[in-house]
Amino acid sequence: MRVAEKIKHDGGMPAAVPAQPSAEASVPAGMRRRRAVNREGLEAGKRSTRTILWILLAASLVLYGFPFLYLLLTSFKPPIDTIAVPPTILPKEWTLVNYVNALGRSGVVASIINSTQTAIISTLLSLLLAVPAAYGITRYKTASGRVFIMAALVTRMVPPVAIGIPLASMMASAGLADTPIALSIAHTTISLPLSIWLMASFFEAVPQDLEEAATVDGCSRLGALWRVVIPVVSGGIAVTAIFAFLASWNEFLFALLMTAIRSQTTPVVIANFQTQFGLDWGSMTALAAVYSIPVILLTLLLQRKIVAGMTLGAVKG
Amino acid sequence: MSTRKTISRLASISGLCTAVALVATGCGAGGPASSGSAASSVNVLVEAGGHAELAGVAEACKKDTGLDVNFVELPYDGLFNRLSSELSSGTVSFDVAALDSVWLPSFKDAVQPIDELFTDEAKKDIFPALVKEANIDGHFIGMPAWTNAEIILYRKDLFEDAKNKADFKAKYGYELAAPTTWKQYQDISEFFTKDGMYGTDVKGAVETEWLAHVLQAGSPMVLDDKNNVVVDNAAHKEALDFYTSLVKSAPSGAAQVDWAAAQNLFNQGKTAMTKFWAHAYRQIPTDAAVYGKVGAAPMIGGSAGVAGVPGPWYLSVPKATKNADAAKKFIKCAYDHNDLGIESTLGLAARISAFEKYQDKPGYESFGPLIETLNGKATATRPATAKWQQIVDTVLVPTLQKAVAGGDSASLLAEAKTKIEALVK
Repeated sequence: MRVAEKIKHDGGMPAAVPAQPSAEASVPAGMRRRRAVNREGLEAGKRSTRTILWILLAASLVLYGFPFLYLLLTSFKPPIDTIAVPPTILPKEWTLVNYVNALGRSGVVASIINSTQTAIISTLLSLLLAVPAAYGITRYKTASGRVFIMAALVTRMVPPVAIGIPLASMMASAGLADTPIALSIAHTTISLPLSIWLMASFFEAVPQDLEEAATVDGCSRLGALWRVVIPVVSGGIAVTAIFAFLASWNEFLFALLMTAIRSQTTPVVIANFQTQFGLDWGSMTALAAVYSIPVILLTLLLQRKIVAGMTLGAVKG
Repeated sequence: MSTRKTISRLASISGLCTAVALVATGCGAGGPASSGSAASSVNVLVEAGGHAELAGVAEACKKDTGLDVNFVELPYDGLFNRLSSELSSGTVSFDVAALDSVWLPSFKDAVQPIDELFTDEAKKDIFPALVKEANIDGHFIGMPAWTNAEIILYRKDLFEDAKNKADFKAKYGYELAAPTTWKQYQDISEFFTKDGMYGTDVKGAVETEWLAHVLQAGSPMVLDDKNNVVVDNAAHKEALDFYTSLVKSAPSGAAQVDWAAAQNLFNQGKTAMTKFWAHAYRQIPTDAAVYGKVGAAPMIGGSAGVAGVPGPWYLSVPKATKNADAAKKFIKCAYDHNDLGIESTLGLAARISAFEKYQDKPGYESFGPLIETLNGKATATRPATAKWQQIVDTVLVPTLQKAVAGGDSASLLAEAKTKIEALVK
């Protein structure tokens, strides 16, 4: 318990790693100048390197951000402007009519509830299975463990469409047809291998000395896992949870094959705006924008944990 | 920091509560169960665009028979995947499926005959091409729910403009009016291609329009009645050459123009004429540049007469449903109240009497040309082969795209013949 508290006090980083500002302050000015010259990445000493890197960063931002920005702007255009030839980026007139149409369509609210239920159950299932599996593999380092983790990776290589139809039949046979639980289980098959791999890398980064210290303090193996290791890798768990949640939240194919009236999720409803007879761009983009909000909020809420999780591997050893 | 902790805790607790509640109940938020539907209800699998067509029928059916109708709406491509998976597995979550006409041959063994619904009266009130298409291996397996065909939509305001009329007559020697021959269509297209505007569009990414020209030239499309590939015959070449001749009067990038692009171009006022599915006439947005300025004319005939390629959807009952009686009851309702589809956003029906009931009403000017096209002497449905979609996607559309980009039609059609023969043998 004391170990965990100490770790938490240090911001989730093992005690052996000194805090960055104090380390910087103790370096003489001349050495700091030399370090500045040797800096890499966006803080590189050479102006030309910095400029190139900033340009690349800006280009990447545009590449990834523009489609979403265009979607967002389209959602505020009057219907006729959404199909303008040539297309315009900014709406000539801002309107909420697409949001009214999209959210007023029957089944949309129910689909958002279904998506939320499905993603939460799938995320919990993934974590529930991935955390002990990854812990066992990293701590017991057996041959079967290595085979298991490789096998988990192999399942990621199977095209989802190949298992979608058998899964749908199995769920129907089990009486789970058209339920969020069936879809959650299907989504777990997608997120679980990645979750195990992610959690295994996070557990690898936690020094075994911490658990030994906990056992010296009287913890059992499971107690050390629960009280020491899991708080240390909480950032990693957040990262894994985000990935599992997103995998389920945005999944389309299994939702298409396994849901009908009760449990249809929003990605299928969004796709329904494209019909054989045309595409309702305005309503489609409006619903897609609304559907993006929860995951954006979730990411912002868990941002600190995610950054901590991403850098967890850096403290190994 | 404490707020963040509180939010995190609340989020965790609500997530857990939701999960526990769901595990306990195992239900979704969308409505009743979709499997094992009771005899008093029926689940209908339908493409998202066609859902509105049947919504009115569902209400009427509830009043007439007490049958509750639940719709499972799916996107077009997804619907085919879903049908394929459920019909092949033998476990279905629906009692009625709305099938695109091109899918009927693929699913003919998985749906049950509904011959009793095709009375003599019904057969007289359904367009002949549809009656023929619904009958596979001697049994009727789908009741047409709505149908469509390409007609000519044109800019009435431009056609009625005095200066345009005078200029056109001076140049071509006859009056400017809705075209009734393909020569007139070419002339008008050429005439309006000026000042950033185009006379028509050429759709390289969809094959139906070219195939309508094939029918007008007097040939069966792609396959004859013995399943021989005839895609390289003179009629196909004539039709393709005519089709590509319009490229000079159409916006650039014809190879990529599909239905949506052509409809957008017309609604934006960039093209003076388009050959398009009749439903589009009533779907012109009120804020579109051309709203209130569009006229409709029947598809033009060739040497074999007027011909269009109908685009019907059929209601079928899967063999695997345990609710066949209720399913057939719903299909009977859909036939009886077929005209209710006309009041929907798509605005189509399948019965001749339903279209005739509306054709003289303001706003339904496209129905006269649609009826004429569907009753056209050479109008025919697509070949009844399960490979049709594959033929379209892998051979016909690529061939058309190469042709509109300037490829040699004879060699392209010869190449297409070889590929199609490999697919159908």
